[in-house]
Amino acid sequence: MASSSATEAKNFVMLTTSDNADIKVEREVAERSILIKNLLEDLGGESGEAIPIPNVNEAVMKKVLEWCEQHRKDPPASQDDDSDSRKKSTDIDEWDQKFMQVDQEMLFEIILAANYLDIKALLDVGCKTVANMIKGKSPDEIRKTFNIQNDFTPEEEDQIRRENEWAEDR
Amino acid sequence: MKRPRADVDSEGRPTKLIRALSVDRISRLSDELLLRILGFVPVANLTACLRVSHKFYQISSDSQIWKAAYYNRFVRPRASRIPRIKDAGVSNHLSYSSRLSKWLGEGDLVRNGQETDWKKRYKLRHKWSKGQCAVREIPVSERASVPPLLARMHDGIIFTTDSISGLRAWNAKGEREVIASVTLDTPGNGTTRSPTSLATDLSGRDTGNQKVVVGFNNGSFTIFDFRKQDKDFLSLFNHAPSSNGMLSALAYSSPYLLTMTDGQLLSLYTFSDSFLTPPRLLYSLRSYTVWPPVSLAVRTTATSVTASTAYALPTYPSGWTVGIQETRLSPTGELIESRLATAADEHFHSLARDPSMLSPPTRPSSPFPGHTQESVVSDNPACTKPTSLSYSHPYLLASHPDNTLTLYLVTSTSSSLSISAGSRLWGHTSSVSGAHIGGHGKAVSVSRVGDELRVWDLEGGMASSAVRRRFMTGNLSVRIQPEKAAKDLSDLSDAISQRGSGLGLALEERFDDPSVTRGWVGFDEENVIVLREKSHGRQSLVVYDFT
Repeated sequence: MASSSATEAKNFVMLTTSDNADIKVEREVAERSILIKNLLEDLGGESGEAIPIPNVNEAVMKKVLEWCEQHRKDPPASQDDDSDSRKKSTDIDEWDQKFMQVDQEMLFEIILAANYLDIKALLDVGCKTVANMIKGKSPDEIRKTFNIQNDFTPEEEDQIRRENEWAEDR
Repeated sequence: MKRPRADVDSEGRPTKLIRALSVDRISRLSDELLLRILGFVPVANLTACLRVSHKFYQISSDSQIWKAAYYNRFVRPRASRIPRIKDAGVSNHLSYSSRLSKWLGEGDLVRNGQETDWKKRYKLRHKWSKGQCAVREIPVSERASVPPLLARMHDGIIFTTDSISGLRAWNAKGEREVIASVTLDTPGNGTTRSPTSLATDLSGRDTGNQKVVVGFNNGSFTIFDFRKQDKDFLSLFNHAPSSNGMLSALAYSSPYLLTMTDGQLLSLYTFSDSFLTPPRLLYSLRSYTVWPPVSLAVRTTATSVTASTAYALPTYPSGWTVGIQETRLSPTGELIESRLATAADEHFHSLARDPSMLSPPTRPSSPFPGHTQESVVSDNPACTKPTSLSYSHPYLLASHPDNTLTLYLVTSTSSSLSISAGSRLWGHTSSVSGAHIGGHGKAVSVSRVGDELRVWDLEGGMASSAVRRRFMTGNLSVRIQPEKAAKDLSDLSDAISQRGSGLGLALEERFDDPSVTRGWVGFDEENVIVLREKSHGRQSLVVYDFT
């Protein structure tokens, strides 16, 4: 039927990634991204044109959409979400934990993509994953984990350590 | 593939791992994203982040992180303790509401707005909660004075007065030296008089100056203006000696001054702004039931002035209890009401875990038969005479020579005045000589001998489930743990190696000489001050610095 195929067309959108790959995805899934949702609303949803996503490549986009598929039925993020997410600390649900078992390059790409695409829940999962990698580590271990250059002199580092000793005792 | 460091991260695939190890991706994130990540890191771990790199230092120090941590740890739990906020379901969404902060008495957090150093604030509250502080002694007097030296603290300034050195102001921060002093000789004829009471203006009028009032043995009193800028005292008003005798207690909340003589004559004065005209005596009352120790307080609202006297009261057969005499006046001085209340002491609430701490009941029958099985309510154990009283509405805290404190909650409405049954607080291991309670239910108590200082968080009183829970787990108070002051790096490493057993030992030595703590103790946001009397009458102020 004409009407059913029209509905079907309406329910899918085309995304063009930075490396010129076209990805067809259900509109409901893509709309987990507030950026895409707003774009689609602006376009009126009729044109059927591919939406360019110039900041995200195909591999990352597929990964992000995998997350969106899994979380398509989640309730939309509340407005004053910051305090809530802080309270839940670094708890990540099991599926998300597995989903985030990727190398660091992909992990940070996901964070950047979630930030750009405005998918707050995914951004939080990414940030919590990184926070968990920091938790309980010494400064040196943190540097090793993320390959960070220590730009402090030993004296500077020692001074900071002394100034902040109070916080370690909990 | 098999690089030596490939085993650092067991999760990563080796090929990707090599790439991951070579690039510092996290530092390339925008400040906003890194801030978001570090916002999920617990405070105890942030100290490690501070030392990672300059970028990490900058982001980990960000006020936003510490503000969130501060609210989560110190403000939100308080909000949920207050029933009206909790019931309204607000606490779940409580983040940084300025209106709520004001309501919770944390208005200063909001007022300071951008300039608030959240990390510093967090640190201060953290150290209070842990009882961590640095100790410093200020010798104030080489010999004992008669009457004894008096001390008060207000807004980082310690005021002391005695007959030898007059009135002095000390800086509680930094160098802790005398900022200003003034003699107390009677203006004109030069006869000496001895200070017997001291109070600071608690009205909180922010003029940059601090008014202090000193009462004397001859019934006179003098109001001084301590001028921070000029570092001196200006005598604002001098009240002539009075036949009513020595002034034993004062409370000052500008423009109202409440005085009490040794003969229990209570007077409430109001002053003009300029102090050029003599004060108006609004109200005077002689009480025959008030026994020392007393604690005077003046509270002002838009419609009334409340002058209250908290006092100890002997009762038969239960020993001592506390009472409050409250006088309410209109701002122009018409008497609205004068009323009395004593603590509901027949069913002394004793939440003791250890039954040996209770004296056996003096009367076998309970007025509420059937409730006797509920062991939290027992008959009043013989209550010893309080060594000090501190009243900061609605909290009234009495300290006792039997190692305990008693907390009462005062309810004062336009129609009634009542005092709750007292709740015994255990924790001290020797006679408690003084206690002071502040606005949020934060209290500090000190034992007479030795060095035992305890900080209490009594917000909401014993009716509050949070307080009761902490009481049951023994977390109601924390003993102050002075740190060794570290002067330089070598000292510091000493201090670190001494942490634990060694530090406690060093502390005991510190107060090894037979020092006795007189009743006075005071605190502000950053310090606790205790007046300590050493051998040969030497007196010093001991400052416990939590910053």
